[in-house]
Amino acid sequence: MFKTARSKFQTWITAGAGTIAALLVAGLMGAFGALPAHAPPQLPPDAAIDAGRWRVQPARAYVSRAKLYGVALKPGQKALVLEADLTNRTAQSDKAYFNVFKPDGIDLPDSTPMIALARDSTLTPELHPGMTERMAYVWPLAGNAAVPANLSFGVTAEIFKPRDNLYGTPGWFNSYRLGTVTMPVADLPESGS
Amino acid sequence: MRIRAIGNLLIVAATVVLSYGMQVSKPHYAELTAPIPIDGAMHDTVRARSFDVRLDRMVFARTLKTNQFGQERLLTTSGLWAVAATNLTATSTSTTVADGTWQGPTGLRYRQTERLSYRQDMPPHAVDPELERSGLFVFELPADQIRGASLLIAARQFGPLDAQARISLDAVPTGADGQPADVLPLYDLDAPAPPQGQTRQDQTRQGKT
Amino acid sequence: MSAVSTDIDPAGGGEKKWRRRGLAALAILLPLTLAETSYESIREWLHGEDLIARDVEFGQGAPFGGSEWRLADLRGGKAGRLPEHALAVIATFAVTVGDPDLQKQWLGCKVMLTDAAGRRWLPDFISGVSLPDGVMNCTSAIFSGAKKGEIISVGETFIVPEDAIETIRPAIGLGSERPWFLRFQRPPK
Repeated sequence: MFKTARSKFQTWITAGAGTIAALLVAGLMGAFGALPAHAPPQLPPDAAIDAGRWRVQPARAYVSRAKLYGVALKPGQKALVLEADLTNRTAQSDKAYFNVFKPDGIDLPDSTPMIALARDSTLTPELHPGMTERMAYVWPLAGNAAVPANLSFGVTAEIFKPRDNLYGTPGWFNSYRLGTVTMPVADLPESGS
Repeated sequence: MRIRAIGNLLIVAATVVLSYGMQVSKPHYAELTAPIPIDGAMHDTVRARSFDVRLDRMVFARTLKTNQFGQERLLTTSGLWAVAATNLTATSTSTTVADGTWQGPTGLRYRQTERLSYRQDMPPHAVDPELERSGLFVFELPADQIRGASLLIAARQFGPLDAQARISLDAVPTGADGQPADVLPLYDLDAPAPPQGQTRQDQTRQGKT
Repeated sequence: MSAVSTDIDPAGGGEKKWRRRGLAALAILLPLTLAETSYESIREWLHGEDLIARDVEFGQGAPFGGSEWRLADLRGGKAGRLPEHALAVIATFAVTVGDPDLQKQWLGCKVMLTDAAGRRWLPDFISGVSLPDGVMNCTSAIFSGAKKGEIISVGETFIVPEDAIETIRPAIGLGSERPWFLRFQRPPK
């Protein structure tokens, strides 16, 4: 089909250009990925944080050995509790606050916390737009687990997309770690209840 | 030749304008599959596809009083409680009406509270043809979401292309500050006309033997 | 590019002919594609709805969902806590179990009352009214472990408005039989 060696060479280059470009891009991305990642920033513990759909303000953190906010603990367990004020920044009632806080460097038997409305211990109610509520995040821990006096909690946020890629509907996607907030952890004595 | 070129250019330009206009005005997928609203006012019977609903009464209160397993509970809120007392009937087949949403004047959507879900007169309401049943929808709202709001009632929460009753709440008297004229300090949910002792026997779950 | 030759003869009428055939094929293939893609949805919809009634005379049995169904009793009256202008109705069926795999055959069991206008009432719980002894509701019957040949009593309670009571007829729908459902003639007065 091809008449000269030159045209053959040209065909090879033309056909291979895409592959070469792909290889270059992949190599560059690999090189950037190998760079040390930026550590997520420290967030102020005494100011409200805009974290995607939630505005959060941590209030206090403590370890409890008694039943609190209606969350019963198994015998021998204790619980790490983070109380925070949550405000729904979106346009509709929502309860996607399960992953907003996560304690760093602690061995959790179950990484999903129990979350209760501090007002009346309702478990995981929907929060309504613009209405701030004190919520208690309760992580059960083994009775002998060590909890540092100052504990950092990772704060996760999501980004809003007016049109998602699948249906073109608005929504919150691509969760990312917004930063870290460090709280002193009080150790409540047994007679909490 | 020149005229022809200009004509072609005009056609291309017109096509670009038309395509751009179509792209901009294309409705969202969410809008295309949204529930179909049926408008009505307070005290009117609004006829949705599978049920009829009439909003009889709106009560606003700072605190709700309720009984849970024989124990008295007081429910507080950072805003106001809005209790919508409705009258429901099924149109042709027994069905359930489960979703109530308060749409504020700027479009914010407050779904019915989940803090009272143990009560009998809370959604889902089981309704039968030609049998009137009273059902409550209870919301937690900031006080500035009351003037110009509407109450949305649908058979279920995600009902694409199903009917949704949209009841305008303009009849609710509000003061100059937008707050409702009448806010009770405490409203006892068990004090008014007791709910009819009628609930749907669950078809899928086990009843009594 | 001149080095590459084409297979289709540009001069002859072949191309034109094939173009026309392609156009004709489109007229057949498009509806076929539509039918193929919507087939599953339509089938699923039909299997979830009680659409076509199969009428049964009173006193007669009819095979349905692997068993033999007969209307045993239909009675109404004022009882228990009822809304105004409403009556309590109890419908009871005598069922001779054929295929004992009720969890498969009777899945989605729905007992209902239909009236002359086509309205349908589903079972309600009425405080103060319970089923007669030995009668169970359909869901309990599914898990009762009834054997082949056994005759069981299946019944439900309903709340029906007074003006519909004259024309109501009990009906039964089962997941394994939809879109067909059984509709029973009322017992003679």
